[in-house]
Amino acid sequence: MKLTVQTYSKMIFQLVRRFHAGPVCRAAESSLLAKLRKKTGYTIANCKKALEMHNNDADKAESWLNDQAQAMGWAKATKLAGRTALQGLVAVKFDKEHGALVELNCETDFVAKNEKFLKMIEDATLACFKFAHTHMQAKGPVTKMELDSEQLANLATQSGKKLSEELALFIGTVGENAVLRRAECWKANNKDVKITGYTHPAPATPADYSAGKYGALLAYKQPNDTEDVGRQLCQHIVGMGPRKIGNKETDKPAKDTDDETCLIFQEYLLDPSYTVEEVLAKHKVEVIDYIRFSCGEVIEANMPGVEKQPLDTVQTLQ
Amino acid sequence: MATISFAKSLVNPAVKLLLKQNNCSHVRCTTGLNGLTPLSIVLRRNYAEKQVFERTKPHCNVGTIGHVDHGKTTLTAAITKVLADVNLAQKKGYADIDNAPEEKARGITINVAHVEYQTEARHYGHTDCPGHADYIKNMITGTAQMDGAILVVAATDGVMPQTREHLLLAKQIGIQHVVVFINKVDAADEEMVELVEMEIRELMSEMGYDGDKVPVIKGSALCALEGKSPEIGSEAISQLLKEVDAFIPTPVRELDKPFLLPVESVHSIPGRGTVVTGRLHRGVLKKGTECEIVGHGKVMKTTVTGVEMFHKTLDEAQAGDQLGALVRSIKREQIKRGMVMAKPGTVKAHDNVEAAVYILSKEEGGRSKPFTSFIQLQMFSMTWDCATQVVIPDKEMVMPGEDASLRLRLLKPMVCEPGQRFTLRLGDLTLGTGVITKINNNLSEEDRLKLLEGKKAREKAASKK
Repeated sequence: MKLTVQTYSKMIFQLVRRFHAGPVCRAAESSLLAKLRKKTGYTIANCKKALEMHNNDADKAESWLNDQAQAMGWAKATKLAGRTALQGLVAVKFDKEHGALVELNCETDFVAKNEKFLKMIEDATLACFKFAHTHMQAKGPVTKMELDSEQLANLATQSGKKLSEELALFIGTVGENAVLRRAECWKANNKDVKITGYTHPAPATPADYSAGKYGALLAYKQPNDTEDVGRQLCQHIVGMGPRKIGNKETDKPAKDTDDETCLIFQEYLLDPSYTVEEVLAKHKVEVIDYIRFSCGEVIEANMPGVEKQPLDTVQTLQ
Repeated sequence: MATISFAKSLVNPAVKLLLKQNNCSHVRCTTGLNGLTPLSIVLRRNYAEKQVFERTKPHCNVGTIGHVDHGKTTLTAAITKVLADVNLAQKKGYADIDNAPEEKARGITINVAHVEYQTEARHYGHTDCPGHADYIKNMITGTAQMDGAILVVAATDGVMPQTREHLLLAKQIGIQHVVVFINKVDAADEEMVELVEMEIRELMSEMGYDGDKVPVIKGSALCALEGKSPEIGSEAISQLLKEVDAFIPTPVRELDKPFLLPVESVHSIPGRGTVVTGRLHRGVLKKGTECEIVGHGKVMKTTVTGVEMFHKTLDEAQAGDQLGALVRSIKREQIKRGMVMAKPGTVKAHDNVEAAVYILSKEEGGRSKPFTSFIQLQMFSMTWDCATQVVIPDKEMVMPGEDASLRLRLLKPMVCEPGQRFTLRLGDLTLGTGVITKINNNLSEEDRLKLLEGKKAREKAASKK
């Protein structure tokens, strides 16, 4: 069903495009290659190859291309696999009891703005969100599950494909390396515990799905009779990037408030005259846990085979 | 009126003369001093050791944009090679360009490669950046403003999904002239190349460029680099450069614009009158020119009765000169640092502007925290500074290391114009740097009160919590 819709939309697109084309282009327009390229969107070289293989039979060539797309995507993905991809987006999806946070990387920030990329990361996030609904066992107030690249790749999307297959297709279309870096799936096991999420830049109207350069999930407890500050706290976490929640008894506030890494001692982002601790107390909020992703961070340290070592040594080795 | 037209007739030949002399002003200064002091001889010897930049051709800045694998770097290398063969450039290898060094311009880290070359007609600075953010930073800091761009598309792949984003960027950073180079035609046949050209023209039209008139050149940068099949190699590159020469207009030089002098300090010299000093920002200033002094909410008209540099009178000061200008019938107290002296009618004071701003990351000396709307910052531009209320229209906060468009409201009107650069500071920290993109209507008296009242109201609301 979805496929037919796609072909139809492509045909409409093609029609619209045809009106655009000037008189100069009309000769080429009629060629089979042009038609095939417009209809399928695969690279020109591949369209050409397909036509040659099937003696200019457009229908056969098209079906061959569709069959080959997956394989070609894989081939491209393998070819590009070594290239560093540090740009990209972090996406979050949540409801009251579940949350998913996913990072998808690519090579240039141009690609990260493309709608195909946005679709890809949305698919991945929805897959993780579904995973949080179905596959997680209750244990403690919040069940957390960290997924790495490989685990992520094996998740199934709504259309039944594996994420890794979709990613290979995506790499085939944009011709740039892309990596599903990491994900976090959360589930609250208790009616009192709420989950919320935030990404920066935030969408104009608060929504349960968004994508940006930074993202965070927050689990907290708050009685229903006070004003809900979950989203604001989550924004604070995204903005200030605390290292830990901090404990009043064991941790001490830093001398310079700008260097503060404990959440509770930090100045509240939306009103620096308060500390987060005071805001929490006023709204009777208890922060249970949080996780923050910043796109492109901690990549070097996590690379397989590269042990954590001082940055200086790494540079001289190059 | 007669005096103005007379002054004009004097200025124009003078500018032309200057163009012919091929010297920038400070070089002329030192040569003028030659033979007078031993110091200048030493200076001269130093000049002789280093190659002197000869200003014989107008300068133009271009850049390459396109997909990572479509051969931007190869094209840049090929251009230098083809031009090096006719002694117009220094040959650069692929590796020299590709590892775009991190440049710390004005304390901001930008990944960028700069290459210099010239054609018969013009001298070029060529910029190549890896990412969108790098181009934006480039635009904001003005390290290499691009007057035009070369869009590189491979004939084998054609238009990619992100090509749209590349053109969007070009629009965003104000590039109106794009020349297209279809690369890798050695690996494609005629039909494919034709198809790619058609797609590009369509996409350009869709993005608001004149797709039918955009010059499209087909060739292979690799062939040019390796010296193979010249008809798609070096000849295509030469043709591309010809199109670039013709299609991308030469920018108007600072020297040819109406003069503008930001006031640095004001002195009163007994028996002569008031002298304002500063560095001439643009244009040419001559004795007898009518001028307007604008800023701090005031506008005054007067005449420049004398121009001096290093205590010597000067017939004509040019952009870049540090000078003193004697002004007629204005008292020292009437002029303050931060005002601007300019050709009448060319500048106005504004207090409501929009700007593209880059916020420094912690490593670049900025703040580690983000900021939200209604923060009050000190804005520094030219010689003035003013408290400014910042509103973020399309985000909830701005993180360090990010660019954003901001709406700035100044507490009092100051001289602002599109393209003017400024710095935002908070206490002793430089928060960001930006460029004015749009001037909005000045604030009404009511709005201005709100600027202060609103702050109090917000504080009140905060204290109530």
